[in-house]
Amino acid sequence: MKSLVKLIAIAFLFTGCKKVIQLDLTNNADKLVIEGNITNQAGPYFVKITKSVNFNQTNTYPPVTNAFVVITDNTNLRDTLTYAGNGNYKTNKLIGVEGRTYTLTVTAEGKNYSAKSTMPAFISLDSLRLSYSIANGKERVNVIPRYADPSVLGNSYRFIQKINNKLDETYYVFNDNLNNGLPNQRPLRSSDPDLELLKGDQVQVEMQCISPDTYAYFYSLGQQSGGGFRGGSAPANPPNNIIGDALGIFSAHTSQIKTVRIP
Amino acid sequence: MKIFYLFFLAVLCSFDSYAQQKFTISGSIKDNQTGEALIGAALQIEDKLRSGVSTNDYGFYSISLPKGKYTIRVNYVGYAEQRITLVLDSSVVINWKMDGKKELTEVVVASKRKDDNLAKATMGTEILNMKDISKVPVIFGEKDLLKTIQLLPGVKSAGEGNSGFYVRGGSADQNLVLLDEAPVYNASHLLGFFSTFNSDAIKDATIIKGNSPTQYGGRLSSVLDVKMKEGNNKDFNVSGGLGLISSRLSIEGPIEKEKSSFIVSGRRTYADVFLQAAPDFKDNTLYFYDVNTKANFKINDKNRLYLSGYFGRDVLSFSNSFGIDWGNNTGTLRWNSVVNAKLFSNTSIIYSKYNYNIKIKNGETDFNINSNIRDWNLKQDFSYYLNPKNAIRFGVNAIHHTIAPSTFTGTVNNSINKDGRESLENAVYINNNYKANDKLTLDYGLRFSAFTLLGGTTYNIYNNGVKTESIVLAKGSAGKTYYNLEPRLTANFRINEESSIKAGFARNTQNLHLLSNSTSSNPTDQWIGNSYNVKPEIADQLSLGYARNFKDNTYELGVEVYYKDLQNQVDYKEAADVNTAPDVESELLYGKGRAYGLELIAKKKSGRLTGWISFTLSKTERLITGINNNNWYNAKQDRTHDLAIATIYQITPKWSLSGVFIYNTGNAVTFPTGKYNLGGQTIFQYSNRNVNRMPDNHRLDFSATYERPKKGRYQSTWNFSLYNVYGRENAYSIAFQDDPNDATKTQTEQTALFRWVPSVTYNFKF
Repeated sequence: MKSLVKLIAIAFLFTGCKKVIQLDLTNNADKLVIEGNITNQAGPYFVKITKSVNFNQTNTYPPVTNAFVVITDNTNLRDTLTYAGNGNYKTNKLIGVEGRTYTLTVTAEGKNYSAKSTMPAFISLDSLRLSYSIANGKERVNVIPRYADPSVLGNSYRFIQKINNKLDETYYVFNDNLNNGLPNQRPLRSSDPDLELLKGDQVQVEMQCISPDTYAYFYSLGQQSGGGFRGGSAPANPPNNIIGDALGIFSAHTSQIKTVRIP
Repeated sequence: MKIFYLFFLAVLCSFDSYAQQKFTISGSIKDNQTGEALIGAALQIEDKLRSGVSTNDYGFYSISLPKGKYTIRVNYVGYAEQRITLVLDSSVVINWKMDGKKELTEVVVASKRKDDNLAKATMGTEILNMKDISKVPVIFGEKDLLKTIQLLPGVKSAGEGNSGFYVRGGSADQNLVLLDEAPVYNASHLLGFFSTFNSDAIKDATIIKGNSPTQYGGRLSSVLDVKMKEGNNKDFNVSGGLGLISSRLSIEGPIEKEKSSFIVSGRRTYADVFLQAAPDFKDNTLYFYDVNTKANFKINDKNRLYLSGYFGRDVLSFSNSFGIDWGNNTGTLRWNSVVNAKLFSNTSIIYSKYNYNIKIKNGETDFNINSNIRDWNLKQDFSYYLNPKNAIRFGVNAIHHTIAPSTFTGTVNNSINKDGRESLENAVYINNNYKANDKLTLDYGLRFSAFTLLGGTTYNIYNNGVKTESIVLAKGSAGKTYYNLEPRLTANFRINEESSIKAGFARNTQNLHLLSNSTSSNPTDQWIGNSYNVKPEIADQLSLGYARNFKDNTYELGVEVYYKDLQNQVDYKEAADVNTAPDVESELLYGKGRAYGLELIAKKKSGRLTGWISFTLSKTERLITGINNNNWYNAKQDRTHDLAIATIYQITPKWSLSGVFIYNTGNAVTFPTGKYNLGGQTIFQYSNRNVNRMPDNHRLDFSATYERPKKGRYQSTWNFSLYNVYGRENAYSIAFQDDPNDATKTQTEQTALFRWVPSVTYNFKF
C-alpha cells in the first residue's frame, strides 16, 4: 500500500515531504522481554530475557541476569536453564521434537511468568524458486518458498529472509486460509519498496512451521510495521502466549534453511 | 382516505378542533428559468408570519386556512420575493415561478427563509446551497460537497484532503449518504481525495447530525441527503469545467418543453496523463470517472416520474501485476403524486451497489479478490398536510441486502468457501410537525425497524473468538429478526423575534456495519450485516440549542450541545485476519461508545462579505471488550478543538475572493512508550490506546473567482486557488523507525502530503 500512496502522490504532483521530528513521548518502558525458541534442530536452545528501554535511549537493552528459567515438556522432562551471558539462558538436555508441548516458567525480579507452546509437525521446504515480474519498468525478482501444505486446515508458517547475511525486516507469516493443501506459490515480498534482490545476491530463507499463537504475534507485528494506506491498524503490543505482564514470545517451531543465489 | 384519517387521529393527539370551514392552498414553487423545483422555499401569510409552510423535496406545498382575505408571500434564498393577495373561499392550486436575483451574495450554508433557524423544529441541520460552493476554496480546485460540509461544526474530516467525515463522534460508516434516496456505500474516489458527488449535477444537500425525522433511518450519526438536479425543462444548457486534475461536462434540457427534462453530467480525472510522462510510472493507471443522469416526466398535473442514476468507477493499476477498481452504481425510480390538495405521495424503487475487484498477477499466480454489497429498496412515503398546525409524514420502507464478503478466485482460493448473505431491513414510520402556537413547534415521531437474517448460509456463534455453535439457515428460510423502536423528538421554542431555544432527543439504529482495521478508509473495507454475534448498533442522542439572529437576520448565531450514547459497537480484535479469515465474525469485538460536545456557528448571511465561523469542542470515546484492557479510550476521530472560518468577499460584480482557515487538534493516536529487541529487530512497546495526539493541524486556503461578462448565452468563470497558503506541513502520518544513519538509535519521521497546491479551473455554461 505504501507504493499506492507514492503513485497518487506523483500523479497529483503533491509537494509533500518527510522530515525527522522530535515528539514528547510518554515513557513507560522497563518491561520484561522474553524471547524463547525451541526448534526441531539439535540444542541447546536459548531463552533471552531483557528489559525494554525508552524510545529516546540508544538501542541497548539491559539483560536480566539472575532469572530462574525452567522448561518442561509433556514427557515430564524438566530442564533448568543456565545463564550464558547477555541475557541468554541455555538448555542443558531438552530435545525439540514435533508434536511435543513445552512449558516455560521464568522467575525474575520477584515475578513469575509462564508460557506454553506446541511444536507443529515438520513440513519440508522443498526449494526456493525465483519469480520474475515487471514493476515500474523494471524487472523484479522475489523468492517463492516451495512447500506442500498438508490437506488438514490450520497450518502456519514463518519465513526469515536474509540477503547477503543481512536480515530483511519484513515479517513473513503465511497460513492456509487460502489454498489449503496446495503447493505454495506466494512469494516473499518485502514491505520495504526499496528492497530489491540484485544479480549475485545470496538469499537465505529459513522456514518455520509455527503455532497459531506465534502466527498471531508476528502477523500483528507485520500489520503494524507494513503500514496500511494510512499507517496501518492502531498499534498495540502484539498478543502473545506469555502469562504475566511480559513482552515477547515463546515459540516451539520447526526450522529448515535453504539458500539461493540470484543469477 | 378515511381510514388513514382515523388512524392518525388515534395515534396523534395534537389536534385542535376547528369549527370553521377550511380551504386549502396547494401547488408547487419552481425556478422560472429552469423549471427546477425549489426545495424548502417558504410560503407565509402576511400578518401571520409564523404560520408559514415550506415546500417539500419535490417543491410541493399545502396549507389550509379559514375563509378570508390573505396576502401570501413566497421566499427563497437568491430569488426575488413574490406576493399575491386573494380571497379564499374555495380550495385553490397556485404554482409559483420564481426569478433568481441578479447579484447573489448570500452565504453558502443558508436557510431558505431568513429566520428559518429560529422558526423550525430542526436541530443539527444545515442545508448547502450548491450555487455558491464553487467559491469556497478546496484542494485541486475541484469544488466538493463533502469537503465543504467538513467546515461545519460537528462534522470532522477523516484526514487532510479526504472526503470522508465523522459526525459528532460517529465513525465514517455511521453516516447515511443518500443520492436521490439511494444509499451510497463508499462516497469517495481515489482513496478519499475526491467525493463521489459531481457538483454540477447536484441541486441541494442537507446534513442532519443525528436528529433526523423518522423517514430517515439505518445509520447512527447523520444523514447527508443529496439531491440531483432535475434538468432544465425550458432550454438546453451545456455547462462544464476544465481543471488541472479533472474535467466536467453537463447537458440538460427539455424532453418535452415545460413537461419533462433530463440532465447528464460526467466527470473524469486525467492524472494518468501525468503518469505517462514519468518513465518510472508509465505502465500505471490511475483515474476515476462518474456519470450522473436524471430524467423526469410529467404525466399530468398531479403525477410525475423521476428516473435517476449514478455510475462511478475508480481504476488503479501497477503494470499488469496489481490492479484494483471499485465503484458505486445507484438507480432511483420515483413516482410523485399529488393525491389531493392535502396529501402528497412518493413511491420509490431504489437500487444501490458497491463493489471492488482486485487483480493480482505475479509469476505463477493470477487471482482476483472480489466483494460487493447490493440493495433493492422500496419506499412509500406520504405527506399529509392535515391543517395549518399539523403536517404528518408516514410511510414504509423495505430493503433487501445482499452482501458478498471478500472472496479469492483464480490460482488462489479460499480454503473454506465464503457464502454471500442476504437480509431484509424493514421499517414503518410516522412523524408529525406540530405548530402548537406562535412560540412552540414540535417535530416528533416514531420509527419501527426490523432486520431479518435470510437463509442460504451458515451463521456461526463465537464466544471470545471460539466457535461454539453453527446455525444452518436453509435457502428460503428466515433466521433471527432484530426489532427496534426509534422515538425522535425536536422542540423549538421561539423566545422572541430574534431568538429561540431548541431541544431534541433521537434514537437511531444501524444494521449494517463497516469493518475497517486501518486508521482510515480503504475501498476494501468490508460491510457486514447483523448476525447472531453482531447486533444492531444503537445511538441515543440528546441535544440542546440556542439560536439568535441579529440585524434583521443578517447575522446568525447558533449554539448546540449534545450527548450521545452508543451501544453494540463493532471493531476488529488485535491481529485480526481481515481478508482471509474463513469467517470474519471470528475476528470481531464488541463494545460501546459515548460522545459529547459543544458546537458554535456564527454566520453573516448577506452583504459583500459573507461566511461563517464554526467551532466544535468535543470528546469521543469507545469501550470495546478486549481492547485497551477493557478501559475507555479515545476514538481515533476524537479531536478536542475544531475551528473553521470560511469567507467570501465580493470585490466587484466580476471578482470575488474567498478564504478558508482551519485549525484542529490532532487525531488521537498511540505512540510507543518504549522499545525492545526480538530476533534482531527493534519492536516498539505500547501502553494505552490513543492517549497521544498527532500534531495540531492548521491551514489557510485562498481562491479568487472571476466571472466574465456574459456574451450572448455564453457565461464563464475562472477560478484560481491556492491550497495551504503558508505551506504548513500538516502531519499525514508519523512513523517510528530505526535511524537509517545510526543503528544504535531510533527516530520519528513525519510525512506531510500537501504543501502549496495551486490550481486553476475554467467553468463555462451556454
